[in-house]
Amino acid sequence: MRTIKRMHILAGMTLMLIGCLSAYSQENPKLSDPEVASVAVVANQIDISYAEIAMKRSKNKDVLEFAQRMLTDHKAVIEQAVALVTKLSVTPKDNAVSQSLLEGAKETKKMLQKASKKKFDQVYIDNEVAYHEAVIEAIKNLLIPESENSELKELLTNVLPALEAHLEHAKMVQKKVSKY
Amino acid sequence: MKKRLLVPGFLVLFVFMGMGYTALNKTPEPKTHIVEIKKLKFIPAELTVKKGDTVIWINKDFFPHDVTEEKKGAWSSSTLQKGESWKKVITESSDYLCNLHKVMKGKLIVM
Ligand SMILES: [Cu+2]
Repeated sequence: MRTIKRMHILAGMTLMLIGCLSAYSQENPKLSDPEVASVAVVANQIDISYAEIAMKRSKNKDVLEFAQRMLTDHKAVIEQAVALVTKLSVTPKDNAVSQSLLEGAKETKKMLQKASKKKFDQVYIDNEVAYHEAVIEAIKNLLIPESENSELKELLTNVLPALEAHLEHAKMVQKKVSKY
Repeated sequence: MKKRLLVPGFLVLFVFMGMGYTALNKTPEPKTHIVEIKKLKFIPAELTVKKGDTVIWINKDFFPHDVTEEKKGAWSSSTLQKGESWKKVITESSDYLCNLHKVMKGKLIVM
């Protein structure tokens, strides 16, 4: 019962995120490159912040290994993004999409902090599956179409296979965790 | 007349035998193959080699990867950062993966 409730909350949040991003893209189809860069950096920072909580709270080897991977890989993406905007002399610009991502992340972090010790791994990994699905959608349907600079587009395109690998990895861990 | 032909005839025969002899005993030089790690894939994902050939893996991604034998972890490169490479002499067929991104898989087939 609790699991079902939790899954509904997560599914709801994912839909909200996707809904929010796509509604925004329809209302306001012009997301400038500095804004795209900001969304990309924020989306990566958020997953790093979730991983940091997991590194503190989890005792599960598979979860810790996954969280460590998220820290390393999402930091690598941010480094690439920073290198690119520096090269292009662009400053990432805060915008409604970045803000809505951060708002959503605030709630999720609360949820991760509040989850019982016993449930933490499940809550964390369920959120990782949902979050990666949402971010993959957002990159494909919003950020890539919105970016004008070809190198920015290329960077986003190159990040997709990593996010897809993370999603599959998260699903593998999810299967193991739900057995405990 | 006959004798004069016989000597060069033998010479030619010896030369041919010599060539045949070296050709039979010369094992082909081991080859070096390259597998690129790019966009979270091993390219080519499946590679056929001869026993004793060398395979070099090069990480072209900005994510770290490794190359690890899949079934028992019998061999593994250490973590390869962007631009780093690792080589191994291949003696048997094996399935391998990136232990950091376990969905990245590759296969070596020894003929
Ligand atoms: Cu990898």
